[in-house]
Amino acid sequence: MTEPVLSVRGLTVSFPGILGRVPVVRGVDLDVHAGEVLCIVGESGSGKSVTALAVAGLLPQTAQVDGSVRVKDTDVIGADAGTLRRMRGRDVGFVFQDPSTTLNPVLPVGRQMTEGQVALGLLPRREAGARAVELLREVDVANPEGRAGQYPHEFSGGMRQRAVIGMAMAGRPGLIIADEPTTALDVTVQAQVLDVLDRRQRETGAAVVLITHDLGVVAEVADRVAVMYGGRIVETGQVEDIFARPRHPYTAALLHSIPRMDTTDRRLDPIPGNPPSPAELPVGCAFEPRCSVGGGRPKCLAEDPALRAVEGGGATACHFWQETPPAMQPAEVRDAPSAPAERQTLLEIRDLKVHFPVRRGILQRVTGHVRAVEGVNLTVHAGETVSLVGESGCGKTTTGKAVMGLTRATAGDILLEGASVLGLKATDMRSARRKMQYIFQDPFSSLNPVKTVEDIVAEPLHIHGLYNEMGGAQRIAELFDLVGLSTSMFGRYPAEFSGGQKQRIGIARALVLQPRLLILDEPVAALDVSIQAQILNLLEDLQKELNLGYLFIAHNLSVVRHISDRVAVMYLGRIVEESDRDTLYDMPVHPYTQSLMSAAPVPDPVAGRSRERIVLEGEVPDPADPPPGCAFAPRCFRATGICRSAPPPFEQYAGSESRAACYHAGPLEPGQSRQRTGT
Amino acid sequence: MKQMHAILAALRGLLRQTGATLGLGFLGLIVLIAVFADLLPLDPLGQDFLRTLEGPSRDYWFGTDELGRDILSRVVFGARTSLVTAAGAVTIAALIGVPMGLIGGFFGGWRDAVLMRLVDVMMALPAILFAMALIAVFGRSQGAALLAVGITGIPGFARIVRAQVLTLRKRDFVVAVEAFGGTASYNMFRTILPNSWSQILVQVVVLSSVAILLEAALAFLGVGVPPPTPSWGEMLRTGKSYLHEAPYYAVLPGIVLTLTILAFDSIGRGLSRLIENPRDAALQGSLK
Amino acid sequence: MIAFIGRRILQLIPVLLIASVGIWAMLYAVPGGPIGVIVGENATPESIEAARREFGLDRPVAVQYADWLINAVRGDLGASIHSREPVFDLIMDRLPATLQLAVAATIVALVLGIPVAVISAMYPGGWADRILSGWSALALGVPTFWLGILLILWFAVDLRWLPSVSQHVAIWADPAVALRNLILPAITLGVYVSGVIARFLRASLVTELNADYVRTVRSKGLTEGAIMRLHVLPNALLPFITIVGLMMASFIGGAVVTEAVFTYPGLGRLLIQAINTRDYPLIQGCIVVILVIYVLINLTVDILYAYVDPRIEYA
Repeated sequence: MTEPVLSVRGLTVSFPGILGRVPVVRGVDLDVHAGEVLCIVGESGSGKSVTALAVAGLLPQTAQVDGSVRVKDTDVIGADAGTLRRMRGRDVGFVFQDPSTTLNPVLPVGRQMTEGQVALGLLPRREAGARAVELLREVDVANPEGRAGQYPHEFSGGMRQRAVIGMAMAGRPGLIIADEPTTALDVTVQAQVLDVLDRRQRETGAAVVLITHDLGVVAEVADRVAVMYGGRIVETGQVEDIFARPRHPYTAALLHSIPRMDTTDRRLDPIPGNPPSPAELPVGCAFEPRCSVGGGRPKCLAEDPALRAVEGGGATACHFWQETPPAMQPAEVRDAPSAPAERQTLLEIRDLKVHFPVRRGILQRVTGHVRAVEGVNLTVHAGETVSLVGESGCGKTTTGKAVMGLTRATAGDILLEGASVLGLKATDMRSARRKMQYIFQDPFSSLNPVKTVEDIVAEPLHIHGLYNEMGGAQRIAELFDLVGLSTSMFGRYPAEFSGGQKQRIGIARALVLQPRLLILDEPVAALDVSIQAQILNLLEDLQKELNLGYLFIAHNLSVVRHISDRVAVMYLGRIVEESDRDTLYDMPVHPYTQSLMSAAPVPDPVAGRSRERIVLEGEVPDPADPPPGCAFAPRCFRATGICRSAPPPFEQYAGSESRAACYHAGPLEPGQSRQRTGT
Repeated sequence: MKQMHAILAALRGLLRQTGATLGLGFLGLIVLIAVFADLLPLDPLGQDFLRTLEGPSRDYWFGTDELGRDILSRVVFGARTSLVTAAGAVTIAALIGVPMGLIGGFFGGWRDAVLMRLVDVMMALPAILFAMALIAVFGRSQGAALLAVGITGIPGFARIVRAQVLTLRKRDFVVAVEAFGGTASYNMFRTILPNSWSQILVQVVVLSSVAILLEAALAFLGVGVPPPTPSWGEMLRTGKSYLHEAPYYAVLPGIVLTLTILAFDSIGRGLSRLIENPRDAALQGSLK
Repeated sequence: MIAFIGRRILQLIPVLLIASVGIWAMLYAVPGGPIGVIVGENATPESIEAARREFGLDRPVAVQYADWLINAVRGDLGASIHSREPVFDLIMDRLPATLQLAVAATIVALVLGIPVAVISAMYPGGWADRILSGWSALALGVPTFWLGILLILWFAVDLRWLPSVSQHVAIWADPAVALRNLILPAITLGVYVSGVIARFLRASLVTELNADYVRTVRSKGLTEGAIMRLHVLPNALLPFITIVGLMMASFIGGAVVTEAVFTYPGLGRLLIQAINTRDYPLIQGCIVVILVIYVLINLTVDILYAYVDPRIEYA
């Protein structure tokens, strides 16, 4: 076997904390060979990003790094600044998570792409301009000559990330490290970026280390996988083995806790508790407190298991790895939703429009409108979950806020239990708000940091003057119990809670006024996958118990498939397709829905890689200046002349339950998507 | 009670920092002396014509001035003038500036436009000139000095509170209060204001030192608190005329003035540092 | 770009109008009102009536204001009560001295402030940072007038190197003499601002050094010096333009104190004299001129900022 490009032995990293040093990485061994893609997967605090930064010597001075890291022929740990710099410039390319902050805002993109090469004397300064254009072309940026001189803010997010990939590969380095490169991107853009990364990797033969929390991305791109937990690698193996035959209880538990877009419905199997904080690791196995296999066995409690090779390839760090449960559990079908006709209608959105004015010029005159929501119709019944799904900027969140009265509707009507809530007087609006509540995406910013959690949950009661009437502290205690929190936490402040606990507090607060309808805006998007499952199960239980109606707003197609009864897909302010959940997922008829589904990564390395993928070109157009006719036409593989002339009507598709806004609606034929029309 | 808790937590945080501790100590000393000045064997007005412009001695620790008055006594009573002016000015500035910032930031639109244009006008002149113009109108008195310094402090409060409101306004926990039916005034006073106390506190400390400096500068220019009330700035003004004969006259009061301002500055920086990275959970809750 | 400048100028109009009303109304807020100002305290009813007619004070208030404003725009700020000379001429006489001092002080502030900021930001928390932060705290804490007094004590009284009273000599007329006269006031005024600059620039440099794009640049293999020079400084200096502009603007008026310490014949001294002699037209004139300069500098800075920062659209 050839020499590995990257070889890590016994890597430990610690940071200074209040009570001594906090170990963040505790003994990591890794080898990556040329042409190979290694995915490091783990939850927040698992040490995966720190490992990646340590490899390139990019950790801050306060970090204590020990062990050995070898990139090609450079020993990274203990190397002097000059050696490190040359190693970074020649041998390693880095792609970071958030493309909106990884480029210098005041320098042209082209110059940034080549400056590393120029600084190390690998590229003559006068050839830098031409080289930048060439690099941009290699990562599919349209009009590279014009783009090279532009500034980062003139690029879209996906384009910026592709430019960063081009930059990382500029010197044909032997090793590419990509730290959550697509986490901040929409799924169709993620597909483009992963595509470019994959193609450039094959062209240059580089070794790639890709860090992610998304098992779908892992299944899509990895050759080998390393699963990290509590600062250590707990399992490594070939990607097929990891997904088919996990050998560590944590890997198995992760696979059980994620909702799947491609399989039948089953109740999620969450991992109890929270990921460990590096400052408070248990003595024995770090996963023991949450493990279904360990179950308090003395060996697990006393001894942190070493990573050892097992038969059939791969390695695991578990004393009892033979007992790891299988990857797949038998599907357990949920109750079929009863027919909507029998149910009470909670919410009716009729032809809702929300426009925001755009002001320009000396006098700040209104020169146009951002058509954030452009004619949305939707109905939610009691006990039912209706999901609005789409990419960022499609208007799904604005729709939710308009229903809550947090954003003013421009036109249309919103009926709550049959009565319009638009144009209500302030006092009437307040009482209407008792019937519906909002749950926010980011549990970190939705709780007032200066109030105790008891006060936070009780606040809506105080505002409506109902505190004593509705049972006071007793009622708050009931709610804490309902969402799985202990009343012993009453006097604490939000900062003392984990993300999942905060979201539970947010849910308790939303329920305190006994609403009929909950608007959930990406309620699990900010949470670790193992915590996501806990919250999704809680939401399902609450719905059953309280007969709540949910308007569920999300971008994650797997989560939506898991929780919804009906699903509406939005694109640029309009619903393009709506149907019951299974019809929509099994036979989408709108080309956008089809593209969205094919772009979403599937956590199955075998089935996922064999399916046909549609990689859309371009990005979502500016809602202030939508294209004429069908807004999706410029990116659509079926678009014809008629699509560009007038917007298609939203009609029942003859072949199924679905309704869609498309002149060419119909199931996806094999090979059809290849006849793409460029931008 | 919760405010008490927050203040104690802030104090504990400050006492962990050397600079802030020294600042608090010196300031505490100055405040104590200023409050209990009457109980000390000091006489800021009594003149000893036989011993004018005499250097520091056993009788007169800081020496005497051109009228034979005890400079130490005048420095002590000058502290009282400084602190009273600063406290009054900060109160005026906060009482007007904080509501301006709250209303402008929360409601936006024409209210914000009007209030912010007013702030722009006040900031279109350097503070010292603005204060001088006001004194030119009011006439010269301790009240005028206090009022003038206070008015120049309004824009600072208004801008800082407005900026804070604009950041908080978009935060989900403020939107959440609106979503479950809280009124605008509830949101302003019960949600946003409690989350802004720490910023306001920092501004109080900063403005206190600015006010002391401004009061001294006005007195130095001869338009501040009128004589014979002792004032540090006035002492420097007179002392400057006797640099050859009595250099200590201008130097010693200047040292006290400088140390007072440095003390405020170190406390202000300590507070900002606490807000940026609170170690205390209670602080994190109340100071953020 | 032109639309952007146009909008900024339009935004200034309400500020200038409100301020002008305030300055004009000063006379009416003074005990005795404008007539008392003109005729003094021992006026007879006849002289009051004569003055009322002569100065047009019998006309409606709005007309008086409009008249005053139109004259002010034309550069006619009235005549000094004290010397009977036109206020505009008196001010133009003193303005060059103040401008020369402001420029000298800006140079002192930048030369002292920028290196301090860059060195402390490159080693945050280190010994150099601690010492230099202490220095900027001192620069900010020492009152300018006391610093001026100390400088006079050392360099004029003890060492007799430099004059304790500064004259205005134009730098192009006699550079050596001009510098001798300028050096102490410029240091006095500049040191305080160097503290402001050091503290502000250090903070924005530290923020920029921790930005994601710096990590990207590091991963490309640039030296720390090149990172500071090519990436961090350009970003940190953008907001810094505003600060330098504000500083220069505040020198024009804030030099009042320094001018008093060194009995330097600038605009500030003129204003103090005017206040002491209750020469209200002169007070108004000084404030109007300082206000206009202040506003113009801020406008220039805004436009410069928009021009340099690629992210700002001139829409």
